Amino acid sequence: MKLLTVKNLTKSYQGQKTAVHPLSFDLHQGECLGLVGESGCGKSTLARCLLRIETIDGGSIYFKNEAIERLNERQLHAYRQKMQIVLQNPSAALNPKLKIKDSLIDPYEQYRKELSLRYFSYTSKKAFIKQLLDAVQLPESLADRYPHELSGGQRQRVTIARAISIEPELLVLDEPTASLDVISQGAVLALLAELRLSLNLSYLFISHDLAAVAQMSGRILVMKEGRLVDQFHRDQLMSDERHPYTKELISIFSS
Amino acid sequence: MLSIRQLSIRSGAKKLVDNVSLSIREGDWYALVGQSGSGKTLLSQAIGRMLPPNLQAEGSIFYKERDVLALSSEQMRTIRGSKLSYVFQDYQGSFTPFRTIGQHFEEYQKAHGCFDSRARQRNALDALDSVGLDESVYKRYPFQLSGGQLQRVSIAVALLLSPDLLIADEITTALDSVSGHRIMEFLAKRQKETGFAILFITHDWRPVKRYANRIAVMKEGQVVEAGEKEHVLDHPQHAYTKQLINAAPTLDRVLAASREEAEIV
Repeated sequence: MKLLTVKNLTKSYQGQKTAVHPLSFDLHQGECLGLVGESGCGKSTLARCLLRIETIDGGSIYFKNEAIERLNERQLHAYRQKMQIVLQNPSAALNPKLKIKDSLIDPYEQYRKELSLRYFSYTSKKAFIKQLLDAVQLPESLADRYPHELSGGQRQRVTIARAISIEPELLVLDEPTASLDVISQGAVLALLAELRLSLNLSYLFISHDLAAVAQMSGRILVMKEGRLVDQFHRDQLMSDERHPYTKELISIFSS
Repeated sequence: MLSIRQLSIRSGAKKLVDNVSLSIREGDWYALVGQSGSGKTLLSQAIGRMLPPNLQAEGSIFYKERDVLALSSEQMRTIRGSKLSYVFQDYQGSFTPFRTIGQHFEEYQKAHGCFDSRARQRNALDALDSVGLDESVYKRYPFQLSGGQLQRVSIAVALLLSPDLLIADEITTALDSVSGHRIMEFLAKRQKETGFAILFITHDWRPVKRYANRIAVMKEGQVVEAGEKEHVLDHPQHAYTKQLINAAPTLDRVLAASREEAEIV
């Protein structure tokens, strides 16, 4: 089943060259769709359009056959429960003045009235926070700390816990490991792979790191200068039919 | 050429770098690999006597038979820049935003005693050309260049006085893969042409595999393993080295796993 359909999406910024040219792709329920591209290729613009933080210039974005550009405020609120995002820089995503437990509980409190949880259960705030920290393999003792007391990898786990706390259906992961060192990178990728299965999530995994994308995703899209230049299944990565730009990326990432 | 002997760096009672010894030969591409917080940047800062004032270095660092740690600040200034120079991860911090690229070259050369203005300009343009940047860059301001271009300028400046040792600290970490790769290719080309040694600090194995000839692995202030590249990569002895090597996804491993899966199915 198609969870997300992007059809002829365009977006440009005033005075700048077009950020996203007509762009179309589908994301199926349960899959991890990979999106590879360099900085400036429009992949983060796309992510912002999907969340409707940006309004699109043309085309449509359908989430479960509903055009998100036509959602009213109340529907948009409901949509954002189903679609959550994890960004590159976890320090910017967490309020430095809030303890970890207070950052973690925030999305749940926004949605508690309409939310019926399937995987987590809310008996008390303390017990709920413990479940979330468990899910991302962090000790309960971190609940009372502040973001600056955590390592980069721990902070990114907290932002992941926050995103999954309201049990969304789709997670947009925009360079989730780019600011982490190599050991934390590997561990966060493994955690994300595990959560996808245990919470029945779908991912749009966006990264400049072709090796990470190929590890996480079956289907892979390649974006360059606002355009989708290549798309293929991981098994076809080494095929001769690949776009020259994909081949360039492969040569950089092969060792 | 450079020999670090039993170097420790302390902050008060705390040892941040613990009894490290390593030596770099002429022309080496020496990779210092470790996680953030392992002490690799502090070690590199100690070589140029660039440590923050609250940190103390003990032991010795011999640069061509002279102990760098025992030199006066003035003697140190004659070495830094001309004999050893740095390129950092944060290329933005390396530039003054209201000065053109050309003014940066001017200032650097004047500070090192080049008083012939035509020679200075010629040197600058040659240096830009050597990292694939054309003359127009000379008149630009830092904000008008991309991250990759700025980092190439940093390398051009660092190599301007033909140092014997270039210390490159996570120089591609802040860049995307294509610009990072381009930088590495320019650096490798320049090293081949002029033969300087590189101390290459990184947590990324890809450039290490491609360019280094020797490796030291640091963990919590100590060097846990060091040796020739092939030896360390193919026969890692220390559990931490193995963990580091296996942590990052590589295309080769991903493809092998995907083939295996296909065979089972």
